[in-house]
Amino acid sequence: MAGQSDHSLSIFSAAEVEFIAEDEMIEIVPNIRMDALNLLCGDFGPFLPQIPCKVPLWLAVALKKRGKCSIRTPDWMSVEKLTQVLEAERESPREFQPLPFHYVEISRLLLDHAHDDIPEVYMVRSLIEDIRNVRFHKVESGLETISGRTYAVKLKNLSAMEVNLVRPFMVRVLQAFDKHDSPETVQQADASASKRPQVVDRGLRVSLSCVTC
Amino acid sequence: MGRLLKLREAHKTDAPATCSVVWAHDGSHLATSCASDTEVLIHDLSAPPPGRSGSAAGSSPVVLRHHKEGVTAISLGPTAGPLASGSFDHSVKLYSFPGGTFQGNVTRFTLPIKSLAFNKSGSLLAAAGDDDGIKLISTIDLTISRVLKGHRGPVTGLSFDPKHDYLASIDSFGTVIYWELSTGKQLHTLKSIAPNYNSDSSVLNTLSWRPDGEMLAVPGLRNDVVMYDRDTGEKLFNLRGDHEKSVCSFCWSPNGKYLATSGLDKQVLIWDVDLKQDIERQKFEERVCGLSWKPVGNALAVIDVMGRFGIWDNPVPASMKSPTEGVVFNEPNVLFEDEDEDEVLGKGISCYSGSLDDTIEKGSGDFSPISRKRVKKRGPLFDEGEEEVLQEIDSRKRRRESENKRGDGEIRERGARMQDAFQAGSTPPQEGKRRFLCYTLLGCVTSLENDGFSHVEVDFHDTGRGPRVPSMTDYFGFTMAALNESGCVLANPCKGEKNMSTLMYRPFGSWANNSEWSMRFESEEVKVVALGKNWVAAVTSLNFLRIFTESGLQMHILSVNGPVVAAAGSGDLLAVVTHASDCLSSGEQILEIKVFNINEATQTISGRLPLTPYSHLTWLGFSEDGRLGSFDSKGNLRVYSDQFGGSWLPVFSVEKARKSEDENYWIVGFNATKLFCIVCKSPESYPSVMPKPVLTILEFSSPLASSDLGADEVENEFMMTNLQLSEIRKKIKDMEAFGLDVTTLDDEAFSLEVKLDRCILKLIASCCHSDRLVRATELARLLNTQKSLKGAITIVTASKLPILQEKFSCILEERMLDDSKTPEPIPIVRSNRKASNTIQPPVRLSPMMERTPDLNNRTPNTIKPQIKSSPASETLKLVKPHSSIRENLAQGEEVSKDRELGKLEKLATFVKVKGNVTSEVAGKEGSSSATENAKPELKIPINPFAKVKKVT
Repeated sequence: MAGQSDHSLSIFSAAEVEFIAEDEMIEIVPNIRMDALNLLCGDFGPFLPQIPCKVPLWLAVALKKRGKCSIRTPDWMSVEKLTQVLEAERESPREFQPLPFHYVEISRLLLDHAHDDIPEVYMVRSLIEDIRNVRFHKVESGLETISGRTYAVKLKNLSAMEVNLVRPFMVRVLQAFDKHDSPETVQQADASASKRPQVVDRGLRVSLSCVTC
Repeated sequence: MGRLLKLREAHKTDAPATCSVVWAHDGSHLATSCASDTEVLIHDLSAPPPGRSGSAAGSSPVVLRHHKEGVTAISLGPTAGPLASGSFDHSVKLYSFPGGTFQGNVTRFTLPIKSLAFNKSGSLLAAAGDDDGIKLISTIDLTISRVLKGHRGPVTGLSFDPKHDYLASIDSFGTVIYWELSTGKQLHTLKSIAPNYNSDSSVLNTLSWRPDGEMLAVPGLRNDVVMYDRDTGEKLFNLRGDHEKSVCSFCWSPNGKYLATSGLDKQVLIWDVDLKQDIERQKFEERVCGLSWKPVGNALAVIDVMGRFGIWDNPVPASMKSPTEGVVFNEPNVLFEDEDEDEVLGKGISCYSGSLDDTIEKGSGDFSPISRKRVKKRGPLFDEGEEEVLQEIDSRKRRRESENKRGDGEIRERGARMQDAFQAGSTPPQEGKRRFLCYTLLGCVTSLENDGFSHVEVDFHDTGRGPRVPSMTDYFGFTMAALNESGCVLANPCKGEKNMSTLMYRPFGSWANNSEWSMRFESEEVKVVALGKNWVAAVTSLNFLRIFTESGLQMHILSVNGPVVAAAGSGDLLAVVTHASDCLSSGEQILEIKVFNINEATQTISGRLPLTPYSHLTWLGFSEDGRLGSFDSKGNLRVYSDQFGGSWLPVFSVEKARKSEDENYWIVGFNATKLFCIVCKSPESYPSVMPKPVLTILEFSSPLASSDLGADEVENEFMMTNLQLSEIRKKIKDMEAFGLDVTTLDDEAFSLEVKLDRCILKLIASCCHSDRLVRATELARLLNTQKSLKGAITIVTASKLPILQEKFSCILEERMLDDSKTPEPIPIVRSNRKASNTIQPPVRLSPMMERTPDLNNRTPNTIKPQIKSSPASETLKLVKPHSSIRENLAQGEEVSKDRELGKLEKLATFVKVKGNVTSEVAGKEGSSSATENAKPELKIPINPFAKVKKVT
């Protein structure tokens, strides 16, 4: 996407972000009887038919693929909630609505693997796409406002995938501006920036805070 | 409607203001008030002959000038009770009536008062207004007995249920709340069902119970009046007619047959409520804001917003029943004072509620006068009108019948009625929707009716194990089903002569083809079915219990004692609930339960089935481990236990578990500690098939009294663990009798004992907190292991209670003495297990228990002798461990000084990790011999019996 101008600077690939998101917990309704799973990341279960329990997303997807459970759609993924969020996103051009940090990844995984468990799946899919577009448009239009005097950009409620897309670009932009602002350090900054773009020179604060509520 | 009612000025007001009017109970006086007037007037109507001209009496009224600002509400107590008035000046005052002597201030609010109501006996006065709470004031001592908070806006209407169970209130947003008077809880909250007058303070929403308390009238959103059910808060019907604007005020006739309503369109209408038809109307110059029926006659007092009032004589046409007919009067002599010609009295002075059906029939008998009126109104529609009304009556009857079938609480409470047979886990049929014939923890049987026949499907929750069952087309119309792993049984009631009652059994897996079978019953109807291991049971309308084998062989036919209510099967056991007799006069049912063992042809349980008062049975079933449980309509689960020679223990109550008001719990099953149910959002009381319902697990909780200990949860855990333990011990005993292996059960019992001990330790800790020393000692005696007893001593030491320390040490000493008396080592494994059933713990055999004091005493070599020693030499050593504890405690006390009391619980868990602690202690104390000695013993498994086996 737009922000991913330089691959080497991107901290995570999309697949990696998705991998991280798979550790989020989600509720499933198993249709099998199975003893508790004692895994490195914790104990899950025991699984009893028709009795909901919480498991990590990767386990839910694995069970779902084998037809052993149905996944309960999280609250925020209902048409009603998403419509509200979309409206609020459109109404406030400067703010992001609170959504789960991994909403893009979770919704993508659920839509791919558990579409039969989501009520009104087409509506949900298009709403989430709309929300993503609106939010990314906001990010992009926000990038336009970065100027020479910008030292930090605060983006509240930005989600993992979104921040992953813009972080490298934004950091580089801020550094570039800073570099041009202070010509005497051009040499030095250039040298260090090419190696480690995250390193902050001479008190320049680059903070991209992603606060999830 | 030619004549116009002349109104007389009572209160002077420049702008429209809310005015109220009430009749005295004998009809001799009338009290009026106005929101822009500080006075309350009592008009005497009896002094001059009662006016028939439409104007009120001429004598000057009694004037009560006690309020500083306008009077917004007045209310009159029963039978010459006090008159209460509420005002903008935030006070509520009481007067004698009809004298008008000021009796005192009842209460003060911080904001203006909008509404007042007396209950039927006059003992309670409810007052509310812009404040956020409704105050309930006892009129005897003028104390506030309760404040009900829940409305978000000004409360403008209050009404006490005539049966004194509920209070209904309405606020200016149109929200109605039913309050339960005994608990002060909100029963139903009906949001935005009445017009929203929040921006317009001149109109106050009101509501009113019908005098028999069966329904509540609330102004509706569509210029109508809507009736809501007494118990469920469901909408019953509405009165919709000629009001062009919202209804703002109404009043029930004393017998509840008529309703007078006044609307913002300045009309007053009189309705016949049974026929849902307006019968009379009158238009006024101004909006009428107060209405009151004369308690003893056919007259209606009205007051408009300009403070003018009048009496409308004969609002109910003379050809119709009097608005007072059928009312029970408090003072019989009053009846003869008023001699209105249309008053038909003494004909049936009975409680209205008792003869509702009767009234309906009379209604249809009294038909002609009404239709005559309709002829006048819209001549050619005569036939249509009649049919319409007939239909209405018909549909109303039908509705009542269906309600009866459903076993509605309202009907149940009023008329003693025995509940019909039901199949546990079934849902009522719904048009065009799939329904559950049977839903259990195992799976479900669903059916969808479609053009005269239905599709029956069987699904197992565990798709991995349950067999796949092809769906079936059902031409019989099955309504009952039962399901287990090996098959399902279906049955239908007889529908007319053609369709006989049929019972069908479908095995899921059979080696032979065509092993499905069915039975037909002539002049007999299957009421309930049940299924067990290799048998099928059906109870029929002839009170026969028919038992078939899995292959359809008719094995037994028994007669049961009464009409069947429910049946459940599991394994060899079949439980059948029947009616033992007609209901008690209070309406409580008498049910009887019998449990049969089909394979052995024996009867294991026989007795009454307890129910919560005024409830009916809604579920009956066995848990997976074969315990019998029943669930009633008030949400109480009872489980059968062998304690006390076989009794039912209440283990769960929905009331306590309910998280929000609009949740209903539909039970599916239970196990030793938990209830499985489906949560349904109100008003649904049962789940639908799609989307697939999801089970919710709720922990059992005993209905404990709230104790001074403040540790309800622990107390509950204590009760439940005790119950579980006793069940398991009983099972161990049973299995031993058969000579079966009980090792796993023993393990389970042991872990339960440890759990119970932990729970008791917590209780001891909270007893120490609240200074209940005797109870703490009692609890200490209940401890199962010596180890935990030592833990208890640590707790009391930490809380600096030397008396308890002494006591506990004595208990410990006794324990040890007892232990030494029992012969050791025990040669037979079985007798050892017997010992585990007594309070004396089997754990004492484990050296780990005895080791602690010895290690600390640095005499580790006493361990072995202690177990093996003869009683004689034991007495010597007994002193030792005891004194060693003292020493230990003395050491511990220093440590415990800096321990806060809050850490007591941590101490309780001490017991759990004691094994490790002791080894640590031993290591620290540096005695190498102790560590050497301790280590091999630590390898001994925690299960004491494992050890015993090695010994033997």
